[in-house]
Amino acid sequence: MSTAFRKIDIDALDEDVLLETELYEPDPRDPHTVLDDAKQKTAQVRSSLSRNDIAGALNVILFEPPYGPNVDDAKSLTLNALLLILNSTKATDISGILRNLDIDQQDTLMKYLYKGMGSQGLADVNGSVLLSWHEKLTEIAGIGCIVRVMTDRRTV
Amino acid sequence: MSNALRPYLAAVRSTLTAAMTLENFASQVVERHNKPEVEARASREVLLTPLVISRNENERVLIEPSVNSIRLSISIKQADEIEKILCHKFTRFMTMRAESFIILRRKPVPGYDISFLITNFHSESMLKHKLVDFIIQFMEEVDKEISEMKLSLNSRARIVAESYLIQSYEACLHDLPTNPPTHTMSKRPEICWLDGGVHIVENRWSRVFLSTPVKSG
Amino acid sequence: MSAPPQVFQLAQVPLSCHSFNASNDRLVVSLSSNDAVIYESQDGEWKPQETLAEHDKTITSIDWGRLTNRIVTCSQDRNAYVWTEVPDPTSPRRLVWKPTLVLLRINRAATYVRWSPKEDKFAVASGDRAIAICSFDSENDWWVSKLLKKPIRSTVLSVDWHPNNVLLAAGSADNKARVLSAYIKDVDKRPTPTVWGDKLPFNTVCGEYGNPTGGWVHSVGFSPSGDVLAFASHDSSITYDIHVRTSSLPFVTLTWTSEEGLIAAGHDCQPTLFKGSAHNGWKIIASLDDASASGSVGRSSVGRLNNEAFNRFKNADSRGATAQSGGDLFTVHQNTITSVRPYTVGADGSVSRVSTSGVDGRLVIWQVSGGVPAVAALTGRIGGMHLR
Repeated sequence: MSTAFRKIDIDALDEDVLLETELYEPDPRDPHTVLDDAKQKTAQVRSSLSRNDIAGALNVILFEPPYGPNVDDAKSLTLNALLLILNSTKATDISGILRNLDIDQQDTLMKYLYKGMGSQGLADVNGSVLLSWHEKLTEIAGIGCIVRVMTDRRTV
Repeated sequence: MSNALRPYLAAVRSTLTAAMTLENFASQVVERHNKPEVEARASREVLLTPLVISRNENERVLIEPSVNSIRLSISIKQADEIEKILCHKFTRFMTMRAESFIILRRKPVPGYDISFLITNFHSESMLKHKLVDFIIQFMEEVDKEISEMKLSLNSRARIVAESYLIQSYEACLHDLPTNPPTHTMSKRPEICWLDGGVHIVENRWSRVFLSTPVKSG
Repeated sequence: MSAPPQVFQLAQVPLSCHSFNASNDRLVVSLSSNDAVIYESQDGEWKPQETLAEHDKTITSIDWGRLTNRIVTCSQDRNAYVWTEVPDPTSPRRLVWKPTLVLLRINRAATYVRWSPKEDKFAVASGDRAIAICSFDSENDWWVSKLLKKPIRSTVLSVDWHPNNVLLAAGSADNKARVLSAYIKDVDKRPTPTVWGDKLPFNTVCGEYGNPTGGWVHSVGFSPSGDVLAFASHDSSITYDIHVRTSSLPFVTLTWTSEEGLIAAGHDCQPTLFKGSAHNGWKIIASLDDASASGSVGRSSVGRLNNEAFNRFKNADSRGATAQSGGDLFTVHQNTITSVRPYTVGADGSVSRVSTSGVDGRLVIWQVSGGVPAVAALTGRIGGMHLR
């Protein structure tokens, strides 16, 4: 007699079970638009950085970040642009810049800091830079900011 | 604590504090059960986004929060073969005695060296800020512990090698049929400590019984 | 200057919930075990008086009906009991508590229980993705339940009754707070229209609310008028019509003190006062646990005004580096606060004192100091908090 049926995960077949996708509002934008948007933002960030306008670059990149499935390219573009900003900021300027961000931007930045630390091995990832941004951001935005990175299902 | 380590531990501390917000939560899948949801993984909605804090590729901490439990996994710095062995022995020693460490997980999460499982019962019976302190202290100590063990291992290896070599050297002398040049005889071969391995600094006589450096470990 | 909080160390184990009787001289708590314990106030001390032992799993919630002097308990063993005080059959002058099992018809843990304002019904939240609304069937002499199921998708963590005895708010682990109708035909009269709707048959969904940043909804509460709903979720926020995110750890319990004030407490170990209105927005006013007020705790306060100590506290607030060398937190509660409830309610419905119970085994009664920050130093403590 076949015993394969014993290995069926019956809980997964439960209709009432909540799926990952039901836990947040999906991004209304189409993946292509998101990708174009990310490319455009990357270009804007580069031009802001060439003018040494760190705050401006952060404002651009932290506005409506890509989230959800199917936008991996846009996500990695955004991460790279953000890492570029973080790496080119002087350590003494960080606190001042963070203070001028609103709470949404702070929450989003914190998500990217964790994403950056989670993708060690990329060329641009520098652990000590990310850790010093993390420390300053926690000082300013509080621990609630970290809690929201955990609870927010709209992962970047 | 070294200055380079401080921001890393501060980030672990704040993330762990944020995750240490547990409550008593009975399983909603199996009746009359109360299981750590981060291990059971039966209900997606009670698991939160796992976070990684890293200094570099080798030193990182994974924190997986859920409604009634946290899993914290540490990847310990291992610069060379000896540190790898020591780290393995050390974590094995701990995990075999996991009951005594209460929050220690018997098996590390894949990709990490040691894991802790903290449930709401732990954070209720112990002060949660003390638990955070314990983890941070553990992380501080483990690096120190392993480098100390490495040092003591090396000094032991040196002593062993030295006494072994002296014996064989003397035996060698005894057996040599013809008279060796006496001016080198008075000098013992020097053994010095380099790159975690024991080497013999070559002199003319060391070549007699040793053509390649001794590697310990 | 507000009076210092009264601290009672009831036990060395967590107090998962507590409830006072109508005259505040008796108290029932669950020591996160299978038993509920009734304490009596004697000379300013709480003395254990009676143990209510019937459940065979951890008791999750207790409510003592202030009008009818009945206690309802619910537990992870899927059951609820209503306890009534009756004369002891062996010695009629003594009163004993008699349990009545309630047919909940749920298959998972019961998580939360509350009497309705008129105390003719109670609601039991559960992990069965349902809320049992229980009412007394006098014909059969037992409590019967009707289940609110749709559209709940996960464990219900808390409920709160609207003052009209019909509407029920529920917060659940699927990140939503809902307002549902718990109208029972034989018990309730037709309710007058409210802001939540006018036609309210059983299980009408009057509203469903969530946050973009997610988080389980730990606690829900209707304002005294019943027109405003507030809920505390795990993203460290309190939501009214707006979403107030804080820089602290998440709140797990809340209670309204007036139409414009609310106290929330939780993992941050200190009750926090929020004030505001629909027009002016909401914000944090103060923490009731004012470390700089002298003698504010029942334990040694040495070093509390010390400058270094204060700095450490600020550090604790903004960075979560809570431990000092001695090991105590600078708050009265040393661990998560599990429940905050009104203690003294004025004739106009405003709450002047609240009680909290914590995982550290402490029961604390706090003065709600009219919303005026007690000391200027508070700005330093909540300076790290960002509000919108």
